[in-house]
Amino acid sequence: MRVSRWRAARPGPAGWTLLGILAAGLLAAAALGLGPRDLLPREGGGATALRFFRAALEPALDYEDPVLRERASQPYVLTLLLALWRTLAFACAAILASLWGGFGLGFLASSSWWEDEAGDPGTGRLFRGLRPAVQAGVRLLIGLLRSVHELLWAVLFSAAFGLQPITAVLALALPYTGNLAKIWSEMLDEAPAGPARALRQLGARPLQVFLFGRLPRALPDMAAYGFYQLECAIRSSMVLGFFGVGTLGLLLRQSFLEVHFREVWTVLYLVFALVLLMETWSGRLRRRWRLA
Amino acid sequence: MTRLPADLRLDRIRCLRRERPRLRGAGWTAAGVVLLALSGFASGELRFGDLLSERRGALLRDFLRNEALPPELRGEAFHVLAWLRWLAGVWTGPEAGGAIASLAIGVLAVVLAGAAAVLLMPAATRTLMTRDPFLEPPESAGRGAWRAVPRVARLFCVLLRAIPEYIWAFLLLGIFPHGAWPAVLALALHNGGILARLGADTLENADPRPPRSLRMLGAGRGSIALAALGPQCFGRLLLYFFYRFETCLREATVIGMLGILSLGHLVVEARARDRQDLMIAWILLGSLLVLAADLVSHLVRRAVRRQGLS
Repeated sequence: MRVSRWRAARPGPAGWTLLGILAAGLLAAAALGLGPRDLLPREGGGATALRFFRAALEPALDYEDPVLRERASQPYVLTLLLALWRTLAFACAAILASLWGGFGLGFLASSSWWEDEAGDPGTGRLFRGLRPAVQAGVRLLIGLLRSVHELLWAVLFSAAFGLQPITAVLALALPYTGNLAKIWSEMLDEAPAGPARALRQLGARPLQVFLFGRLPRALPDMAAYGFYQLECAIRSSMVLGFFGVGTLGLLLRQSFLEVHFREVWTVLYLVFALVLLMETWSGRLRRRWRLA
Repeated sequence: MTRLPADLRLDRIRCLRRERPRLRGAGWTAAGVVLLALSGFASGELRFGDLLSERRGALLRDFLRNEALPPELRGEAFHVLAWLRWLAGVWTGPEAGGAIASLAIGVLAVVLAGAAAVLLMPAATRTLMTRDPFLEPPESAGRGAWRAVPRVARLFCVLLRAIPEYIWAFLLLGIFPHGAWPAVLALALHNGGILARLGADTLENADPRPPRSLRMLGAGRGSIALAALGPQCFGRLLLYFFYRFETCLREATVIGMLGILSLGHLVVEARARDRQDLMIAWILLGSLLVLAADLVSHLVRRAVRRQGLS
C-alpha cells in the first residue's frame, strides 16, 4: 500500500499539541509587539547590566552610602538580619493563620466529609439537605480567595485601610487559605479508602471514620503540601517589601533604586542561601517520609 | 480467620504504628514555624490591635460606603443590573487592552519557559548524564566526571527559580526600560527553572528499557532523550506545562504593578487616581482571567490523562 508523503509526515496528537503551543506563543509575541531585536539593550541598558553583574563579585558587607556608613543607627548586617527575620516571621504567621481556614474549608469542600466511599452519608449527614449549597458555596469561596493574588490583596488592603505588617500577613493568608483548602480537600478525597471501610465495618461512627480512617492516610501528603506553601509564602513575603513592609524586598528595592548594586547582590545572595536551605530541608523531609 | 494471642496482636499493632506513613522532622519544622510567628507578635512588629482599631474601622467604612462605589452608581448601589452594566462598560473600555496584554505575557512566558526547560532538562537528568547511560552496572553508576553535569544544571535551575518573578522583572526593568520583555523574561526565567527541575525528575523516573535498547544500538545522549525519554514522558511534561501556565497567568496580571502594561498596571494607576471603584473592577477582571485559565488548564490536563498520554 502506498502511503502519501504528507500522511507519513503528518504530526500525531503530540505533534499537533506542540505546534499549537508554538502558534500560541507566536500569536502572543505579535499581540505584545515584541521581537528579538527589542532584546538588544539600548539607552545605556547594556552599561547598566555590565555594572550590575560586575557588582556580583563583591557584594556589600556595609552600607554603600558613605554618609549612612558613618551615621547609621544600626550596622548593615543587623539591618539585613532584621529584614530576613521579618520575612520569615510574616510568612510563618500567615501560614499558621491559613491552616485553620484550610482545614475548615477543606473539610467542607471535600466529598469524603459528606459521604463515604459507598455513598452512605458521612460526617455531614445532619445537614445533608444543605450539602449541594454548602459545598458549592465553599468551593466558590475557595476559588475567589485563590484567584486574587496576594499582592492584589495587599493593594486592596492598603487602599481600604493602609498596609501594616499585620495587614500584609492577612493579605498573604487569604490566598494561601484558598490553596490549602483546595489541595487538601482533593488529597482527602484521594486518600486510600481501605482503613475507612474497615472502621465502618467495625461499626465506627462517621466522624470516627473520617478522623481515624481517612485523615491519617492523607496527613503526610497534606503536611508536605503545607511545607511547600510555606516556601511560597516566604517568597511572597519578600516581595511584599516592595509595598513598604520591612521585609527583604524593601531593602532590595531601595538599594537598586539608589544604584547600590553591591547591596542588591548581598540581598540576592541571602535569598539564594535561604531558598537553597529550604529546598534541601523540604527535600530531606520528603525523602525521609516512608510509606508503609 | 486465625486469632493471634493478645500480646502478639499488640506487637503487630506496634509494628504497624512504626511503619505508618509520616513526615519525619515535620514536628521540628512546625515548632520553628510557630516560634517564628510568635516572635513576630512578641516583638510588637505584628499587632492584632492594628486590625481592629477605631481609626481603621472608620477608614474601612468610608472605603466601602464611598470610595469603592463608582460615582455613576452612588445613588443605586444595590441595583445589580446597573452594577453589571457598569462593569461591562469598564471591561470593554479603551483600557481593556491591559487584560489582553496580561494574557499574552502569560502565554509567551510559559512557551519560552517550556523551550528553555526542554533545553536544560536532559543536562539535569542524572540517569542520562553518566559515562555510559542506562548500560552502566549499578555499582559504578553516578561516578566520574559526568556526575558534575546534572549537579551544575540543577544548581542553575535553583538559581533561576530562587528569585521571585516580581524581583526578576524589577531587576530586568533596569536593562530594558520599555516594552513587555522584562515581564516575559522574568516569568520565563523563574518558571523555566521550575519546569526544568520537574521535567528532569520525570525523565529520571521513566522506564529505562527503551533508552537502554537505544543505547545498545549505539545512540548518543541527545537521541536517547529525543527518541526514548521524550515520547514516554510527553503527557506528564504537558501536565506540568499547563500547571505552570496557570501560575504564569496569575503572575502576569500582578507583574504589571511595576509599570509594565498589564492588568496590574491598571490597578495601581486607578489607585493613584483615587478611583478605588476602577481598581476593584480591574482586580475582579484579573480574577476572572485566572479562573478561566484554571478551567482551560484543568480541561486540557483531563484530556491528556484521558488520552492516556501520561
